[in-house]
Amino acid sequence: MRRMKLMLVVAVVLTLLMPGSMLFAKRHNVMVFGSSGDAVRLDPADVTDGESIQRMDNIFEGLVEYQRYTTEVKPALATSWEMSKDGKEIVFKLRRGVKFHDGTPFNADAVVFSFARQYDPNHPYNQYGEWAYWGYMFYDVDRMEKIDNYTVKLVLKRPNASIMTSLAMFTVNIVSPANAKKWGEDAFRNPVGTGPFKFVEWVKDDHITLVANEDYWRERPKLDQLIFKVIPDPSARLLALEVGEVQGIEYPNPADFKRIKANKNLVLRSEPGMNVGYMAMNSGYGYKDKNKNGKRDADEPLEKTPGYHEALTKVKVRKAIQHAIDKKAIVDHIYMGTASVAKNGMPPFMLGYNDAIEDFKYDPELSKRLLREAGYPNGFEVTLYVMPVSRPYMFDPPKIGEAIQGYLGAVGIKVNFYQVDWGTYLQETEAGKHQMCLLGWSGDNGDPDNFLNVLYGPNAANIGASGNYSFYSDREAQKHLDEALLTYDVNERAKHYKIVQEMLHEDAGWVYLAHSNQSLVFNKNVRGYVLHPTTRKFFREVWID
Amino acid sequence: MMKKRAQRGSNYGFRRLKQNRSAFFGLVILVILVLCAIFADVIAPNSPNPTPPKLELALKPGFWSEEGVDGMPLGTDALGRCVLSRIIYGTRVSLSAGLVAVFIAMVLGIAFGTLAGFFGGGVDSTIMRFVDIMFAFPALLLAIVIVAVIGQGLDKAMVAIGIVYTPQMARIIRSSVLYIKEMEYIEVQNAIGSRRIRVIFRHVIPNSIAPVIVYGTLMLATAILDCAALGFLGLGAQPPTPEWGAMLAKSYSYIVSGAWWAATFPGLAILFSVLGLNLLGDGLRDILDPRLKQ
Repeated sequence: MRRMKLMLVVAVVLTLLMPGSMLFAKRHNVMVFGSSGDAVRLDPADVTDGESIQRMDNIFEGLVEYQRYTTEVKPALATSWEMSKDGKEIVFKLRRGVKFHDGTPFNADAVVFSFARQYDPNHPYNQYGEWAYWGYMFYDVDRMEKIDNYTVKLVLKRPNASIMTSLAMFTVNIVSPANAKKWGEDAFRNPVGTGPFKFVEWVKDDHITLVANEDYWRERPKLDQLIFKVIPDPSARLLALEVGEVQGIEYPNPADFKRIKANKNLVLRSEPGMNVGYMAMNSGYGYKDKNKNGKRDADEPLEKTPGYHEALTKVKVRKAIQHAIDKKAIVDHIYMGTASVAKNGMPPFMLGYNDAIEDFKYDPELSKRLLREAGYPNGFEVTLYVMPVSRPYMFDPPKIGEAIQGYLGAVGIKVNFYQVDWGTYLQETEAGKHQMCLLGWSGDNGDPDNFLNVLYGPNAANIGASGNYSFYSDREAQKHLDEALLTYDVNERAKHYKIVQEMLHEDAGWVYLAHSNQSLVFNKNVRGYVLHPTTRKFFREVWID
Repeated sequence: MMKKRAQRGSNYGFRRLKQNRSAFFGLVILVILVLCAIFADVIAPNSPNPTPPKLELALKPGFWSEEGVDGMPLGTDALGRCVLSRIIYGTRVSLSAGLVAVFIAMVLGIAFGTLAGFFGGGVDSTIMRFVDIMFAFPALLLAIVIVAVIGQGLDKAMVAIGIVYTPQMARIIRSSVLYIKEMEYIEVQNAIGSRRIRVIFRHVIPNSIAPVIVYGTLMLATAILDCAALGFLGLGAQPPTPEWGAMLAKSYSYIVSGAWWAATFPGLAILFSVLGLNLLGDGLRDILDPRLKQ
């Protein structure tokens, strides 16, 4: 009996102690967010993955930022800007009185530092990063110049219609030069920006802690602490949310939606995302970019890709495959309704989306007829690269692969699976070793160029560094894409993009499967979170009731 | 003469097997598995991989629920395929994978074990040290390493598991060869000048094979389990092959959302087949081990 009492006392003490952290936490406004993976680096200019970007977006800011619900830009660290008539120079007036988290004042030097370290190979800090996104998005930038302490000038090599939206990307967020000097090559572990939250600690593969920036130039964030906790398994993430260990999670498993909706303490937020998931069919010929200028020059002829497959070089066969796959069933039952069927290579809300295009209908009989006409009455065998990881644009690639295997099997095409680790997967598909592959894209800046040129542009049909995994190579399309970028006239741009989408549809190199929704689940007490179409996550205005 | 004795032995064995209830239970399971594997086309109510897939039937429960689909008694998986049919076809995959792996282990094990035991000396210590090294690795880990080297796929997984089990086999064979080598009838053969190769194949191997049968049965159980494990890790059978481990791997994430059947039944199939083979193996050891005879 006495022992029972003792145990009771111990139990009571323990229960008082255990949720102690939570009791104290109540006084603070703390948000723990369950992320699917850890950050790779904490330097905004040197990251490419969504998990790193998610942390960066709350520590750093750029000259401009996106509007709350759209990808149009508004002032942030720049208060205003003016573009020259030829569209090649933009002068920015900078905000005064802003300080970095380490006390360094924000000024023109910091802006020039943040840009120049990426494009100038002779810059002393150029050696500390890969600067991958600079190459993808800012190849038209010549230099950033200081005019006076609070004025800078961005000089372009040629006009670029997407430059303003690109400037709202994490890549060109402004970092503290003093901090970069202090840490050198380790600066990516000690991020210092001007943003709403200050970095506190990073425990690898476990969590990253941020605290409110008391000296923030806007209203101080409502959260006192923001913690990104790494929970890779979607079921474990949901369980952590259900027991209150975290207050929000990303990438919930679509199969769990019913369970989430039934839970009164949870709120499921789901909105169309800026992405596309597709199956690319290698049409056989790409080019090798010998001088690495990102363009196909006259002396760079088309040559066979390593994954060349006779049948897939024929448009009729590619169309037969398009007609054989029931995309609606895949969206309804594998994406479980958390996506919409795609008919073009970019999401419908973007500039220049061609809604007049009629999608390939699911029609196995027509598919078989097309195969007969193309000279493959008995079908053929083909290898499909199946992604080993789930991405925002494709939640469950192996299941989609198996469904495609079944659909193509029904018209006589035997599909073999090929699965490798993610790093090798990207390498091999970039080198064109695949015959067919599953992939997709999440948009960066909301500009159609960021989809149509990067994913389908003939310049990207580059064996070894491909973004165009069907190796579509019509120079006419590239002309339209180039012209669309040179003009700032929105209608003119839309016209070019619509034509390109028609050309792509006729070539049938990609089976566009779906545009996935971005879905987040929060505790019902979390307020003020806005889902941005870029899926970037900003916690500045979030608080817990 | 030899034949007659063998027959008496097997009758005696079967009687003993019937007396040993758990072993008999194991035998029954094995028979069921073999029947399922052979007659899968007849028994299975549906195709394991319908083309085109019927995605609209995804994750429907089985006979216990009103939402179930007719003709799919154990429900459907995430691609709308009949779980029962896939388990039945999966028997074929798992059983043949296990048998092939054990066969590979037997052939290699007998070869190396006989060499080591019969010739002794340097050959023996070289082979057995190598065997010791292989024993230092956990079996599954070693199998994963081998698969990483030779590539994925069911056939490769069988070979990998076969290789992993070879040291065990080799050690067993070696010990019985060491024993048999000293027997008088071998000495006689040596005395009349029989060629060594003839002695090995006609006398040593046939007489050292009994323990191999017992351990082979036990090994079959773990081979099936390891094959399922490789399938679970995505290194074994490739889609759409209905393999138990792979079925489990693709469905366990749906347990939280309520569709427990898609993962549970393949898991039970693994459980019962491994249990059955283990019971049978244990029973056979009891029967064949003279020290345990009543």
